[in-house]
Amino acid sequence: MLIVVAGGAASGKSEHAERLLCEAAPPGQRLYVAAMQPFGEAARRRIERHRALRAGKGFDTVERYTDLAGFVPTRRYEGVLLECLPNLLANELFSPEGAGEDAAQTVEDGVSALASRCGTLIVVTGELFSDGRAYPPETMRYLHLLAGLGRALAARADAAYESVCGILCPVGEGGAR
Amino acid sequence: MTVLFIGGAYQGKAALARERYPELPLVQGLHLQVRQVLEAGGDPSALLPGLLGKVVACDELGCGVVPVDPFEDRWREETGRLCCALAAQADAVYRVWAGIPQRIK
Repeated sequence: MLIVVAGGAASGKSEHAERLLCEAAPPGQRLYVAAMQPFGEAARRRIERHRALRAGKGFDTVERYTDLAGFVPTRRYEGVLLECLPNLLANELFSPEGAGEDAAQTVEDGVSALASRCGTLIVVTGELFSDGRAYPPETMRYLHLLAGLGRALAARADAAYESVCGILCPVGEGGAR
Repeated sequence: MTVLFIGGAYQGKAALARERYPELPLVQGLHLQVRQVLEAGGDPSALLPGLLGKVVACDELGCGVVPVDPFEDRWREETGRLCCALAAQADAVYRVWAGIPQRIK
């Protein structure tokens, strides 16, 4: 089972993703895969906030910034929450240890590999495409690749949602696809 | 009764708010209020109690690239969090696109 939870900044997507994962997997069967690197004050604040949100919900946490396909959990987890796709792609595209030119394919393969290793994978992704601005070419390329990844994931997902002001909205014709 | 209209800029949120809830006081441009509070060094979450019992229109700011400027980043974040808190207490939430409202709560 693959579930995609999207949303803009501070839209409540993480809370929903955690709740959905808690519904899909019992305590002790929940793994959180964190892709955000703790660079800068804002990132550290976000990481702390996410940690506080998860506290007491029975998640094991692992940090994985690149090469998701090469990540094998120490044991099988029924539910895995991957947060988040924009960070993972940025790491692969821009980090020295990332896949560079092969970033998008690497992320897609990584998500597939992770999905095959658990019962339910929930992928959190960001809605970055609607500010109407033109950015430098490398940022536009990143957005293009991220949008492509989003489409590929949504196409094979069992359900896709967008969180809006903390309200989980099913996406697709006739509700959740 | 508390109602929130969310959506992009110039999508017709306030017009719909007036049309559908003429009996409620209208707060327009909540995202700008949040910005003013932040510029004055205040805490935007303190705005929440004053929004209850009103119909509120707010631009949805969060659907773009993370701003490089920390203040812009924080503005976006605080506006989103306040909207989540307000939506949780609201009786109705609408998302407006091109003048078309979609009731999501």
